Amino acid sequence: MKIRNKPGGVLGIVAAASIVALSLSGCVRDGAGQGGGGSSTSPGITDTSITLGVTTPLSGPTAGPGTCTVAGLAAYFGAVNAAGGVQFGDGKKRTVDVKSYDDAYDPQKSLSNFQQMVADNVFAVTSGLGTPTNRAFRDAAISQEVPQVLVMTGDPLFSDREESPWQLGFVPIYQNEGAAFGKLLAESGAQHKVAILSQNDDYGKGYVSGFKEAIGGAANVSVVGELTYEATDTSVDAQLTQLAASGADVFFNAMSITPLVISSLQKAQQIGWKPSWFLPSNTSSPTAILQPGGATAYPGIYSVSFSKAPQSPAFAKDADVVKFLADLKQYGNYPDMPAFPHCMWSYMVGATLEEAFKKMTEPNRDSFMTALRDIKGLQAPLMLEGTAVDTTTDGQPAVSSVLVQKYDGRGYTTAEKFG
Amino acid sequence: MRTISAVLANRSVRASLIAVVAIALIVAPLILPAFTNQTLVRIGVYAVAILGLNIVMGYTGQVNLGQIFFVGLGAYVAAYGVNHDWNILLVFVAACVIPGIVGLFVALAAARLGGLAIAMVTIALPIVGVPLAKRLDEFTGGSQGTSARFTDAPDWSGLYNDQWQFYIVLLVTAAAFLLARNLVRGRYGRSFGVVRENEAVAASMGISPYRTKVLAFTVASIFGGASGFLYLAAVQYTSPETLSFGHSISLVAAMVIGGAGSITGALIGGAYYVFVPQLTNAIDPNLTAISQGAILLAVLFLLPQGLVSLPRVIRRLARRRTAPSTPSGKPPQNSPVHHPTTEAAVREGLETQRGKIDHED
Repeated sequence: MKIRNKPGGVLGIVAAASIVALSLSGCVRDGAGQGGGGSSTSPGITDTSITLGVTTPLSGPTAGPGTCTVAGLAAYFGAVNAAGGVQFGDGKKRTVDVKSYDDAYDPQKSLSNFQQMVADNVFAVTSGLGTPTNRAFRDAAISQEVPQVLVMTGDPLFSDREESPWQLGFVPIYQNEGAAFGKLLAESGAQHKVAILSQNDDYGKGYVSGFKEAIGGAANVSVVGELTYEATDTSVDAQLTQLAASGADVFFNAMSITPLVISSLQKAQQIGWKPSWFLPSNTSSPTAILQPGGATAYPGIYSVSFSKAPQSPAFAKDADVVKFLADLKQYGNYPDMPAFPHCMWSYMVGATLEEAFKKMTEPNRDSFMTALRDIKGLQAPLMLEGTAVDTTTDGQPAVSSVLVQKYDGRGYTTAEKFG
Repeated sequence: MRTISAVLANRSVRASLIAVVAIALIVAPLILPAFTNQTLVRIGVYAVAILGLNIVMGYTGQVNLGQIFFVGLGAYVAAYGVNHDWNILLVFVAACVIPGIVGLFVALAAARLGGLAIAMVTIALPIVGVPLAKRLDEFTGGSQGTSARFTDAPDWSGLYNDQWQFYIVLLVTAAAFLLARNLVRGRYGRSFGVVRENEAVAASMGISPYRTKVLAFTVASIFGGASGFLYLAAVQYTSPETLSFGHSISLVAAMVIGGAGSITGALIGGAYYVFVPQLTNAIDPNLTAISQGAILLAVLFLLPQGLVSLPRVIRRLARRRTAPSTPSGKPPQNSPVHHPTTEAAVREGLETQRGKIDHED
């Protein structure tokens, strides 16, 4: 060994390191990126462009709808940018950039993506799918004063202004959907016996509570059977057999698991129970669920929607649908017919954001939130007649009006009344 | 190369090196940008989880696919404690002890089963854990999860939140690594090694394989719980998604990539777990699954013993280039995974380990 062990070498190194440490600690980090308030310009917006961020599942089991939440938004702003951009309320014309981040439906990753977005100077986070993934960075978004708006979750927390000053949900909360169907049933006038099957969590409970509230005063609707299942169950055959025995003519099925819905549709036919069905908007896809489930065997399959269905023949020549599909192909990197409604929803998110941009008078986040909370009666492209964006009501998401739809063998058409 | 390791062997040099690293770690958060701190914090969180996994899998050789369950349990316990205004130390202790007790009970039953049966039992943990977390919404907040903020920097500190979190995570992670290092280098570490190589030999030496496995499993659960506490400190939110089975597999992959049976490997594994999603996101957010798979395969093909073996591989290549005829003189000092099947090899492995320990003292 050829090292000389100088006495005091250790001390020397420690001393040197301490000097370095002390001098480094003198460099105080600047507070850039913290906070977006005030009348100054916020991060992520320049005189010519604005940057939006989306964290959403782009891999894993929820990648299908997740990809759609980016594709629709990119399609909308791709077309807008090609036409020159958005005329903002402060008089400047800006193009809109959309940056996407994959969180694989993992809350920890969505928080990481949010922190990355702050470092990447994103003006606002939008359109991302998922309750846990959006909740994971909700607190951080509030403390950093970064807008987290028009996100795809039915969780009412995001639309509570006191609790969530920098948030706003986009899609109707679960209760809205259940209530819309309950109202239709109550108004039908005929006698109905309803069997309820729901997922044993706040998803299922939300649907059921909305439904029950709506049929509360109606004498013609009675609930004859109510059962639950677990989200991890692989079969609900036992529950279906039991509910079939109740003789119900209407089956309210608040189920979020795609394969389970298909097997339920098949099983009920096998045991000879053919009621009218209600299915939630996210598990009522004509191609992915109703066709394999053989849904035409039932007198009616009802769901709710606020968007036009591009796959339905009724809308094949609709101007909105034609433009949407073209934009999706050209700018959204999504050449197929959308299999999930999230593609349409995120396209509407684009339209809603554009409206807010047009109204915001200063290039900062405060002004943006004020403008965003002041949109009423906006008929975004692809929205069904009778629904509209309304961001002015506390406790409600941007879209709270839904229309009950009836399956016509290929797609959905609006059901004016039950039956 | 030889001189560098000789220098490192010198006690005072090593002590001063540790001092420099410690000072660097303490000063770093003050100058680094917020995002870097937040990334480092997450690395600490997962390094502790992987460290626990390493003790039971890397050192003791028992397949554990349920580590994420203990992380999630620790996070839930911590969230419950924080939301009920427990003292923060009590929260930490509970977040370690409760997963530890659960781990002990699971291990008491599972360690009786041999080989792959333990893996089966551990698979069941996250699979049962997710619906349980959804079901027990009184404690867990149901499928919407629960938020718990307790790591915002207090006013007197004058720090940003990310800096404060960094120090909390640094404290716990450093303690965890120190404890783990002492554990695996001492008597228990040696019995872990023997049980991994051959249970019959272990029994003949008076080491109970059953007790050793239970101990390793329990220690791993405690580390999992500590990691869960850190998870809550960093993310401030937990939900049933936290303990989904897929993350458990990712943890195992990160451990193998870092280096099974190596303390440093656990740290590298934590860095891998955090960096790779960020990296693949930067490449193309639509192709994260494919690019993560490609990186995983590339590392395993090039460095089958994990990233921790990189310096050794470089050294070997360098030696081969300078003196191609000389066979390697002594066995690798810190070989993380060797699979000697014969008894003699076990003894040799033991001796290397013992030699290492003597060398330490």
